[in-house]
Amino acid sequence: MIERTVTVVPEDGLHARPASQVVEAANGYESTVTVGPVDGDAVDASSMLGVTSLGVGPGDDVTLTADGPDEDEALNELESILSTPETE
Amino acid sequence: MSHPDHKPLTTELIDLDNEPESKPEAIEQLLDLAVDAGRITDRERALKDLQAREAEATTGVGMGIGIPHAKSPAVKSPTIAFTRSSSGVDFESMDDKPATLLFMLLVPAEGGQEHLQMLSSLSRSLMHEETRTALHEADSPERVESIILEAVE
Repeated sequence: MIERTVTVVPEDGLHARPASQVVEAANGYESTVTVGPVDGDAVDASSMLGVTSLGVGPGDDVTLTADGPDEDEALNELESILSTPETE
Repeated sequence: MSHPDHKPLTTELIDLDNEPESKPEAIEQLLDLAVDAGRITDRERALKDLQAREAEATTGVGMGIGIPHAKSPAVKSPTIAFTRSSSGVDFESMDDKPATLLFMLLVPAEGGQEHLQMLSSLSRSLMHEETRTALHEADSPERVESIILEAVE
């Protein structure tokens, strides 16, 4: 299992389009992927309800974990989504 | 002006009698509850803001739940509306499950992060199967009101 903490850049936070990108990405990997507050309970990153329940805003840090055969790719893609400002 | 003494949800914002048959119908029906409850100054504007949010990413969050929401200058005070569908409505959820529990969250434009807080409290509560079952089984608006208010407080 690998773990990484990233700061959420998109101005919507982990909500709306960035949230759906995260969930979609997490669903595309075999690995189990979680996301959560640095000091709190993580949720399954492939569940939109779970991700929405976190209430993560812009500038918040989140910890990502991935466990499985494609864990590196999974975390790289999630980190890239969360580190990229939204474009209109 | 906002009305801080308004509860976000009252029984008049809960409709257990009419089941929407599509996502657009669900959004119209839930918005009508908010309009009839006097929470909205401009229905058309509120609808546009809801649709814009929906166009960005679906509010079908899976597990049978749809939560269309918007922060809008047409909203007077934080408002939740609720209805159900026994057969389920296609909410374009990523888990492909039809939505049977349908919520609407509306907050005034000056609400800051308030809508995210309401959305996350409600979602956290809905992750528990007991909450979802209780909402399905609730036989009165009063019962639904107490379940949801407990969830977002």
